[in-house]
Amino acid sequence: MSGRKLLCAAIGALLAGSVAASADTIKVGIIGPFSGPFALQGKNFQAGVEAYMALNGKSVKGHDIEVIYRDLPAANPQQSRALAQELVVKDKVQYLGGVYFTPDAMAITPLLTQANTPLVIFNAATSAIMTQSPLVVRTSFTTAQTTTPLGKIAVERGIKKVITAVSDYGPGIDAEVAFKKAFEAAGGQVVESVRMPLNTNDFSPIMQRVRDSKADAVFAFLPSGPTTLGFVKAYNETGLKQAGIKFLAPGDLTQESDLPALGDGALGLLTTFHYAVSHDSPENKKFVEAAAKAVGGIDQLSFPAVGAFDGMHVIYKMIEATDGKQDAQKAVNAVKGLAWTSPRGPVSIDSETRHITENIYLREVAKGADGKTYNKEIQTFPNQKDPGLPTP
Amino acid sequence: MQAIAKSRQAATVSGGNTHLLRDGLGLLLIIAAGAAGYWLFPDNLALLTRVIAVALLVLSIDLIVGYCGVATLGQATLYGAGAYAAGMACLRGVTEPMTLIVIGAAAGAMAGLVMGTIMLRAHGLAQLVLSIAIVQLAHEAANKASAYTGGSDGLAGFSPSPLFGTFEFDLWGRTAYLFGLALLVLVFILLKFVVASPFGMLCRGIKEDPVRIRSMGAFVFPVLLKMFIISGAVAGMGGALAAISTQVVGLDSVSFELSANSLVMLVLGGLGSLYGALIGTVIFMGFEHFVSAINPFHWMTMVGALLIAVVLVAPGGLSGLIDRALPGMRDKGGQRP
Repeated sequence: MSGRKLLCAAIGALLAGSVAASADTIKVGIIGPFSGPFALQGKNFQAGVEAYMALNGKSVKGHDIEVIYRDLPAANPQQSRALAQELVVKDKVQYLGGVYFTPDAMAITPLLTQANTPLVIFNAATSAIMTQSPLVVRTSFTTAQTTTPLGKIAVERGIKKVITAVSDYGPGIDAEVAFKKAFEAAGGQVVESVRMPLNTNDFSPIMQRVRDSKADAVFAFLPSGPTTLGFVKAYNETGLKQAGIKFLAPGDLTQESDLPALGDGALGLLTTFHYAVSHDSPENKKFVEAAAKAVGGIDQLSFPAVGAFDGMHVIYKMIEATDGKQDAQKAVNAVKGLAWTSPRGPVSIDSETRHITENIYLREVAKGADGKTYNKEIQTFPNQKDPGLPTP
Repeated sequence: MQAIAKSRQAATVSGGNTHLLRDGLGLLLIIAAGAAGYWLFPDNLALLTRVIAVALLVLSIDLIVGYCGVATLGQATLYGAGAYAAGMACLRGVTEPMTLIVIGAAAGAMAGLVMGTIMLRAHGLAQLVLSIAIVQLAHEAANKASAYTGGSDGLAGFSPSPLFGTFEFDLWGRTAYLFGLALLVLVFILLKFVVASPFGMLCRGIKEDPVRIRSMGAFVFPVLLKMFIISGAVAGMGGALAAISTQVVGLDSVSFELSANSLVMLVLGGLGSLYGALIGTVIFMGFEHFVSAINPFHWMTMVGALLIAVVLVAPGGLSGLIDRALPGMRDKGGQRP
């Protein structure tokens, strides 16, 4: 055992020596799911980071940027804290970024002040994270933020009664609460709320309940991937679609990397989200080209990439403001109110909450000229803040 | 006749001596390895603390799998019970770390009592399936009771007070590590006494042949249940240590994955030996950390290769390999399968 440790120490010393050789390097530690069932989301983090560095250079004001990736395959706060601690103490990173799951972010926040390190969250989407530390900035979205416009849209489209069906876990409940609030405020009525266990595979009983509820539409939230696939399939096969019952959901359900598997069954699904790969702007064209190269094909590209891309933008601006010195509070202060044009459209960092303010788009799954399905943006809700945070 | 008796006596005395020597040496080695970890990897103390917390869990599995022959894939239930109990107590104002450990141990022991009562009704494969069912139920219960546990967002926002009023649980994690190490050493010594006691012998006997033990007039169920409670207390302490050092408790602490992973660590180190549990945990987690830092994208393959290699080269686990290399130090208890 001690032999192994000696070996580790020797290798560690070697690595440390090689790093010390290049004088002014600013290190950024990125924590994300790079292996396991969520590896694709982690790969999108990496693609976003690499795309940004390819388009904007690998140095800021003469300071070279080095990115260190650390793998956290599934939500595991203890491991998350250990990784963050090691990145800060051992690898001497000045900035932390990434983080896919909420509990992992929660485990890092207590360290930030002592570490004098800002954390830029690329994904973890629960509102409460922002209140845990003044050194957190987020460039993704919250479920409440992407869901809320859907309530108004539903009423505008003549939908009066909705049944909600969500997976029974944090984000699902967030989505249910946010939709219900917005929909009822706009004058609609939620007739029934179903919470499905996370491991549900057979959705036909749920579809029967949707039918029995006599609702005009079903609002759904499930974790992206196979479960969503099963849900949408059941929605089609049980004839709900033909019966004219509409399908509403936040855009996690129709993320681009899942669309090929959903196939024609997804056509006509209405979702609201902050980013679609198809978004029509010169910024997005450049981003998609660079990120698709990094991720290994445009079919693999999905929303975490844009969170990472903008996260890197924020980190670059922080480095610019502090001129390479480690000063977390100054860095965070510098990006408060920062506004720029992201691949997803115009965005800014709210100076109160440090969460991103962005456009939310209503999209419909449509068929493109090449025969592939895509998210077609049909309506824009500009400058949406996170309604899940308590307003000061 | 007398000569035989004498030589037998001599054998037992020398056997006892090697036992003592072996345990003393082992304990020294653990403390030395712990201190070496502290000096050699001062920047990885959070990881090392995590290793200690999991080591406690693996030890607790060893108690019922290795010493009693009860198969389980649901041990994280007990670990999670300790973690959530400590977290919730801390959130409600009980912030003294040692009290939190005691609370974790009590919660783990209680969960062990319940889990043991259910699991010991069945045998063999059915028992294994029951253990999986229990951990899944506990996982779902923790998810459902999000008002108390934070659900899938995790239980956060609590901070334990400094140890002895002075040593804080900070970024560098020195306090957490030394606290954890002391806890591990203490638990290890206690467990050494437990497994060497007549009660421990009885457990091993039950593992070898429950029918025979029963026909000797001993009651099997209460003995195993007692071991379940001890095991629960140990796992609960591990959970509480994790909660104190991380200040977040996630659903992963009551997951099937954690249960299965820690069983793998135990098999890697060697069943039925407390050293095996420690060696397995350290090697598995150390290796995992090492390769995942080198290649965060494809490290799982390396871990898989290690496991296959160990199973092929050392079917009795790594501690079995050490025993084979040092036959003089071999425990004469004959408990190895």
